[in-house]
Amino acid sequence: MKKNGTYHVLKSAIVDFKRNKIRTFLTSLGIVIGVFSVVLLIALGLGLKNYLQEQFESLGANLVMVMPGSGFGGGGGGFGGPAGLFGGAEFDEKDVSNLKRISSAKYVVPVYFTSALIESNEGELSGYVMGMNEDIFALMDMTPLAGKFFTKSDVASRAKKAVVGQVLAENLFEDPKSATGKTIRFKNQRFKVVGVLEKRGDQEMDNAAIIPYKTTFGNINPEKTFWAIYLGVEGEEDVEEVKQKAETILLKKYHEDDFEVVEQSEILSTLDQIFAVVNGILVAIGSISLLVGGVGIMNIMYATVTERTKEVGIRRAVGATEKEILAQFLAESVVLSLLGGLVGLALAAIVVVVTRQFFPAEINFASILLAIGISTAIGVFFGVFPARRAAKLPPIEAIRYE
Amino acid sequence: MIQFKNVNKSYFLGEEEVKAVCDATLTIKKKEYVSILGSSGSGKSSLMYLIGLLDRPDSGKILLDGKDVSTLDDDELSKIRNESVGFVFQSFNLINKFTVLENLLIPTKYAKGKMDFDPHKRAHELLKKFGIYERRNFFPNKISGGQQQRVAIARSLMMKPKIILADEPTGNLDTKTGDEILDILESLNKEFDTTVIIVTHEKPVADRTKRKIYIKDGTIVKKYL
Repeated sequence: MKKNGTYHVLKSAIVDFKRNKIRTFLTSLGIVIGVFSVVLLIALGLGLKNYLQEQFESLGANLVMVMPGSGFGGGGGGFGGPAGLFGGAEFDEKDVSNLKRISSAKYVVPVYFTSALIESNEGELSGYVMGMNEDIFALMDMTPLAGKFFTKSDVASRAKKAVVGQVLAENLFEDPKSATGKTIRFKNQRFKVVGVLEKRGDQEMDNAAIIPYKTTFGNINPEKTFWAIYLGVEGEEDVEEVKQKAETILLKKYHEDDFEVVEQSEILSTLDQIFAVVNGILVAIGSISLLVGGVGIMNIMYATVTERTKEVGIRRAVGATEKEILAQFLAESVVLSLLGGLVGLALAAIVVVVTRQFFPAEINFASILLAIGISTAIGVFFGVFPARRAAKLPPIEAIRYE
Repeated sequence: MIQFKNVNKSYFLGEEEVKAVCDATLTIKKKEYVSILGSSGSGKSSLMYLIGLLDRPDSGKILLDGKDVSTLDDDELSKIRNESVGFVFQSFNLINKFTVLENLLIPTKYAKGKMDFDPHKRAHELLKKFGIYERRNFFPNKISGGQQQRVAIARSLMMKPKIILADEPTGNLDTKTGDEILDILESLNKEFDTTVIIVTHEKPVADRTKRKIYIKDGTIVKKYL
């Protein structure tokens, strides 16, 4: 169709929308809500992914984790439970000292992990107890909010010292900064707080009491096993080498299915896969409202065709072809749907901007394209049947229609 | 110019088949001023729609300038309607959501080729010619019936058609206004050498044309009874 004709078609559509403002608004509303929910769900999905990514990245860039079980998924992601719960290897001090022989592994940190009710004279909280060595503080680039960290000699001497996360400190003491020197209790033992960790935004670390791993060897961890071993690698280029060496060392003792050596990027790519699925499901749910919106458009377009039968007849009489009538009604449903899509997108953008104050939701280019593409497609798909009816109206019946 | 050869057209009204045009054979020459006269239900409108290519015959041939148009597809028929035929209806058939000027421009939106005139300029000229230029930005339902019919005539002339088909053009107008409209149609035939075909059931209207074609029960007859 010529430019002149396209303009006429659009103008005709807009004139009709103006004449039926409420109807146009209500018809588009379905698409507004549909696109709004799809875009928002994607944005929140992306936000969740961003959030978890930040969490993992806070672990340090060149982190290699030795974990039990095979595969990140099978072994349990994060501090899922006590060592061995998911099957596979239970690491011990011998493994730690073997791994320390890897020259490019700057830090080697055994990780014992359990949950416990942690109490002080001022309060209590159900938190986590982590048995680690002093390298964890450097490996994770931690800073003390108050006090200091425990040292190598504290680990060797099985000192009853604890470094507590800020959230834990806030729950146990009125002023977390004054926690240093005070006593906390868990698992029937008393520990002296030597330092408070600055808040990391990491749910586990912020709620944890970190104690020297050897201290757990009493009645907390009688098996003297670890849930995981973290290796801190100096340079990114050494990550692969460290992984391979760690595997070689551990294979001497364990079956290959019993442990897994993963680096952070692998965890991130697994996260990507998980979120691709989650996003797919969210989009599918949101699409239901789009479908309903599309049916609404179709319904109104059929009504419009009937209402404007005479107009179709007049246009046919002055020379409009079936295709031109089809194009006109199709353009109207596409404009209607696209308009709804853009409004939905704008509303979602506003919500996302507000949400970003506290959650890293995100509207990416793909969701903008998706919003525009989907609303255009709905306009075409649900508009084509009514438009075909208009185009196929016999001209003389149309022109006589009252 | 327009030739019908044994043209038949039937409609179904529910189960019942109605023979609207029965074995019609006729010739309307170029620049003719002619009327088709028949009572209500005689098939005169059906005949007009066939002449105007808004409908196709069931059988028989329709020739336009010697070319058989009864077998053309929708695109080709629409092109001929757009370029060569102008319709004027009893009920004016203007689109009420568009202004007078916009209504005039509609046929130009469906022009299939390049137009040898400026649409706006021509619309303005026609509006002035028919004394409705001052009403160009009015919506059709805000002007009188006579004015609406002038707009309809102006619209039918936009694409410089060879044929004007007027279906009961005075039917919704008082006698005086009706006469004015007939004067205009007559002048088109004289001034522009346009073939003007008036379809009517009123003998006085038909009497103003140079030739009358009588139709009764779908059949073209020699004499109006």
